[in-house]
Amino acid sequence: MENMKRFVWLILLLTASAGAFAQAGRAGAKPMHTVAKGVYEPFFRTAATLPVPVAAFRLDEYAVTNAEFIEFVKQNPAWRRSRVNRLFADKNYLLHWATDTTLAPANAPLLQAPVVSVSWFAAQAYAKWQGKRLPTVAEWELAGNGTPRHIRFHSLTDYILDWYKRPNPKVLPPVRSTYVNQYGLYDMHGLIWEWTFDFNSFVGSTDSRGNTTDEVQAFCAAGAVNVKDKTDYAGFMRYGYRGSLKGNFCIQNLGFRCAKSI
Amino acid sequence: MRLPTDFSRARTGLLATALSASVLLFSCQEAGKDKAADTTAVDLNAPLTGTVTAELTDAPLVPKPLTYNTPKKVMVELEVIEKVMKISDDTEYTFWTFGGKVPGKFIRVRVGDLVDFTLKNAPDSKVVHNIDLHAVNGPGGGAEATNVAPGQSANFQFRVLQPGLFVYHCATGPVGMHIANGMYGLILVEPAEGLPKVDREFYLMQGDFYTKGKFEAQGLQPFDEEKAIKEQADYVLFNGRVRSTTGKNALQANVGENVRLFVGNGGPNLVSSFHAIGEIFDKVYMEGGSAVNHNVQTTLIPAGGSSVVEMSLQVPGVLNLVDHSIYRAFNKGAIAQIKVSGAENPAVFKRSK
Amino acid sequence: MKQLPLLAAAFLLLAGCNPSPEETGKAAPGPSVAAAPAQPVSGLSSESVYQLPDTFQTQNRQPFLLPELAGKPTVLAMVFTNCGYACPRLTDDMKAIETKLAASAGQVNYALVSFDVARDTAEQLKRYATEKNLGNNWVLLHGSDEAVRTLSVLLNVPYEKTEDGNFSHANKIIVLDQNGVPRFHQEGLGTNPEATISQINALLR
Ligand SMILES: [Cu+2]
Repeated sequence: MENMKRFVWLILLLTASAGAFAQAGRAGAKPMHTVAKGVYEPFFRTAATLPVPVAAFRLDEYAVTNAEFIEFVKQNPAWRRSRVNRLFADKNYLLHWATDTTLAPANAPLLQAPVVSVSWFAAQAYAKWQGKRLPTVAEWELAGNGTPRHIRFHSLTDYILDWYKRPNPKVLPPVRSTYVNQYGLYDMHGLIWEWTFDFNSFVGSTDSRGNTTDEVQAFCAAGAVNVKDKTDYAGFMRYGYRGSLKGNFCIQNLGFRCAKSI
Repeated sequence: MRLPTDFSRARTGLLATALSASVLLFSCQEAGKDKAADTTAVDLNAPLTGTVTAELTDAPLVPKPLTYNTPKKVMVELEVIEKVMKISDDTEYTFWTFGGKVPGKFIRVRVGDLVDFTLKNAPDSKVVHNIDLHAVNGPGGGAEATNVAPGQSANFQFRVLQPGLFVYHCATGPVGMHIANGMYGLILVEPAEGLPKVDREFYLMQGDFYTKGKFEAQGLQPFDEEKAIKEQADYVLFNGRVRSTTGKNALQANVGENVRLFVGNGGPNLVSSFHAIGEIFDKVYMEGGSAVNHNVQTTLIPAGGSSVVEMSLQVPGVLNLVDHSIYRAFNKGAIAQIKVSGAENPAVFKRSK
Repeated sequence: MKQLPLLAAAFLLLAGCNPSPEETGKAAPGPSVAAAPAQPVSGLSSESVYQLPDTFQTQNRQPFLLPELAGKPTVLAMVFTNCGYACPRLTDDMKAIETKLAASAGQVNYALVSFDVARDTAEQLKRYATEKNLGNNWVLLHGSDEAVRTLSVLLNVPYEKTEDGNFSHANKIIVLDQNGVPRFHQEGLGTNPEATISQINALLR
């Protein structure tokens, strides 16, 4: 009996403390991890596009959650759904929230899921508020390339491709629900797409013959046609996705995490 | 077939040169036989005579023949939907579709029309999509103008300059994967005078599919890019499903009727040797263009191409439509059927007792 | 009291889940916001890109806020002066527009914003303006990495820094109305400016 009581106590304690820690997380103690300096090889390799050296930087362990973003809009009312300027967030901004600052009670599990349907501008504002910034494409890709710590799947590429092939889940799972990589970063693939600072850095052909590197790019397109390697497929999809975005787009499977220079 | 991303001007230019050369050759051959498709036949300054919303249909149905004979503005809206559907009775697949089915919606317009095209990508889509309509004269067949993120839409307008039956498909990279997942359909551009009247019209589109599991392995089967690269199809299908158009789903027609099939081939890899077992095609609009061939047994339909075939039905029974690369028909699903009802016609065919 | 060791154990367990101090980001959230204002700046249309709050610097080393362009239509391009090919031509295309609009001289702003945060200092921009003989209606702007990127996002001008320090970028000449709302853009180099000019004239009317 005495043991039983102790057990109940322990459970209660654990629950309460977990709550307290979640609170602390919201207050800005979100873990970040260092991604060692490295080289990012852009998918479209051309004579002009050399591998990009990336300096070491720090990146959030997991994507910004709904709970974290609720705190942000509470403290920054201008970013509330009802008040935001359409130039900076389209009509789908935080569409899954019940009100300006809450999720529907039925959606409580989403509190720990990544916030999605947020624009690039909103993500930028959040990062700035945290004293952080969005990672660049090169940084994100370097971090995303990190080796999974516990491989529960054949290869990272297969895992990514499988994710692309599955429709979005009805309810978005919480952060840290997929896999962790060598840097300690969770869910770099398999949960959501993520904004990057320079997402609009991919200069495509809509820019016509005047494009400074047009000739070169004609050839890299040729290279793209000849993708030999499935890794290229996965990268290709991310390029395509980023290329379709505008800064005020708010999309159901697009969130973000923050970075920091060292 | 356009390149996955569209900064391919240099190559497209070469392709265009090659194409126009072949058009020249073609018109010499065809002189005096059939009216050559001539883009200058469309008067771009002629005023449009109103706006209509295109009737869109799922296979095997075809929109009704057009009743207008002056150019109109035609509104077309397609939504890309990614969804799990049955590829066979016990097998599921995550299809990427134009309008919720494979193949995509059939679009019917008239030469000279101005098409106002809106492509939506469903909010719950995983990836980006676009559309390249082979009926378009313009960058990427529309692909450049329509790279649409989930939940977004894009619009562009194009003037329909040439009659024919054209494939449309998604051209987002990796293109092969988008096509392999079912992202294709047909757009028919009727000539100014319309097509000759027939009793029935149907829509069939062939496609090859590549899955981790073998043909009809149970459960949800993901796309297998290795097999796709090696062109080792597990399924070769009409209208996106094993037995989509057989048995109780067979196309229905009657003895004495004239039937027109609009047949496309989405690929991504395989060329179809389209054949009707126990019939001869009276007319084939070769490759979906203006040249008509007669009395054809089997017609080739390239991946990313089409054919319009017509046949008059003389005897009752079940007509099997197959890809005559025959293992595809019997082992990979490439069979569709027309159930022909009516009285026996012993003058044409008689079984000896 | 017996529960104490258990309590300690519980915290240890939790500490295991909690990141070590080394791994923890130290920044506490700042009190105020953040990149772009989420709401329209008073007096500006909600679609105005002049809501970008960042301060730029002109070729004359003056601090410059985008709303200073308000009141007149503005022809704007994003360029970098080390560009060997496209940007000089883009600048020439803008000059051609200016020439054709000679009758409205002084009623239109011409702005160049540099991608090249590192090299296009005010001095370099001044040199470029002199070289290209850009008159009083022109302003050449240097800004922070973030300000330039944000403007490029607002104006849909994709660009990328290449490893040699140059930029691959879209070639767009953008027409902004008196409030800073993008109304039109001409794409490519050596494009016939007729449509652009008629757009500007419409704004001047
Ligand atoms: Cu697609």
